[in-house]
Amino acid sequence: MKVNQILCAAGFPDAVTNQMLAWREVFKQWGWKGADFGARIEPDMRHHGIRPLRQLEAQDELVLVHYSGYARDLERVFSGPARTVLLSHNVTPEEWFWPVDPADAVRCRLGREQLHEFARLADGLAGVSSYNAEELSEASGREARVIPVLFDRSSLASPGSSANGGAEPGRPPPTILFVGRLTPHKRQDLVIQAFAAYWRMQPEARLVLVGHALSPAYRQKLVSLAEELAPGAVSFRARLTSAELADQYRSADVFLCLSEHEGFCIPILEALHYGIPVVARDAAAVGEVVGDAGILVGAQDDAQTIAELLWIVVSDHELRQELCRRGERRLAAYDHQLTAQRMRSLLADLAP
Amino acid sequence: MRTPEEALAAARRQAQARRLAEPELGRAPSDQDLLLEAREASLKQLTRWAMIEPEELEVYSTRRLGAPITALKRLLIRLLRQYLVQMSAQQSRFNAYVVGYLVAMDERIRALEEARDGGAGPEPETVEELPHP
Repeated sequence: MKVNQILCAAGFPDAVTNQMLAWREVFKQWGWKGADFGARIEPDMRHHGIRPLRQLEAQDELVLVHYSGYARDLERVFSGPARTVLLSHNVTPEEWFWPVDPADAVRCRLGREQLHEFARLADGLAGVSSYNAEELSEASGREARVIPVLFDRSSLASPGSSANGGAEPGRPPPTILFVGRLTPHKRQDLVIQAFAAYWRMQPEARLVLVGHALSPAYRQKLVSLAEELAPGAVSFRARLTSAELADQYRSADVFLCLSEHEGFCIPILEALHYGIPVVARDAAAVGEVVGDAGILVGAQDDAQTIAELLWIVVSDHELRQELCRRGERRLAAYDHQLTAQRMRSLLADLAP
Repeated sequence: MRTPEEALAAARRQAQARRLAEPELGRAPSDQDLLLEAREASLKQLTRWAMIEPEELEVYSTRRLGAPITALKRLLIRLLRQYLVQMSAQQSRFNAYVVGYLVAMDERIRALEEARDGGAGPEPETVEELPHP
């Protein structure tokens, strides 16, 4: 079988690019042929074998489109002779970007319109979460399957000794972690506020925010907020190596995600892998990914409530162990082989 | 042993008790919402962004040991300055017209809303009557 893959934008660090490359490895193991293409390609990506989309000669083949943002050149793919599978990794609603970066807002608006249009044209539909799949179903009036992100635990470092329970003497200071691009919808501003409330109860505590910023100006806003609310206790990290990121997870006591929009949120699975208790806001696809393996807060839970929750999770050893156990169970739902079989089944059904 | 579900309930109770004891903690997170703050400023921001001024220092190479490439890129910008200035001016002019149009519409909508709500707002100015930005 031959499956070509297309990305809207290929670059690093980018979760969707990583996904496409991971799927190519799986396809190779199955003996499937095909090539990878990008509508936009960052210069650094040419070593990864991703070709410009204009080189795609779509005949009677199967094309898997990893959709994550507007790309005008994709229109000819969906109107051409190839069988197409649209896999939605989600496009963030535009309203999050208007105040911060109108150009991104326009791209998001165009992207969501294009996603809905392609949903009507594609031969097969899938989302990386039920949340994404439902959006495609609503737009197309057809069934969309769920094929989660390909999560390969063997590619991550070993969990090591987690569950620091850092409030006791001689232990490292309690560390709260969030990993994700610094953007308005990921609500690092709320993470900082909740942490600041916790920091007032536990002045030793530290917050680490990992992720590159939407813009230097947005990063500066968050830095200023952190300096105002919890001076010296918040650190911003970006462009970490895999080993450095693993160290951040292993030294964390709680993974705190207050995103208001996520199409999946891979860092939650990473946190579960490293045995870090997860506290997250039940919004978009977050609740679905966390399942019962973390503690889900609602929109009504303010910074003080989340701070109290952080206190409980950091200090209650038995609770941490229970969350770790549930995390292990939850990860089974995202087993690499299981996800691969789902993809194989979808593509086999649609093969010409 | 406390379950995760019980932990959340306990946190809510403790937060409520703490808010009663220290009323200044009762503020909801959205009070300091960066997003809302930014939304209020968006039209002002849009106006600022309308006049584009590309910054030469933002042109650089992301490669390792990319200093010579950075220097080459900046040299190219200087050689093409006449063209770039002309292009920036055209884009800024277009942006300014669009922002002017938006500002006029914003004012017109406000005036209409005030009139609808019974306030004696100013006579809505038509967009066409505005001077060119």
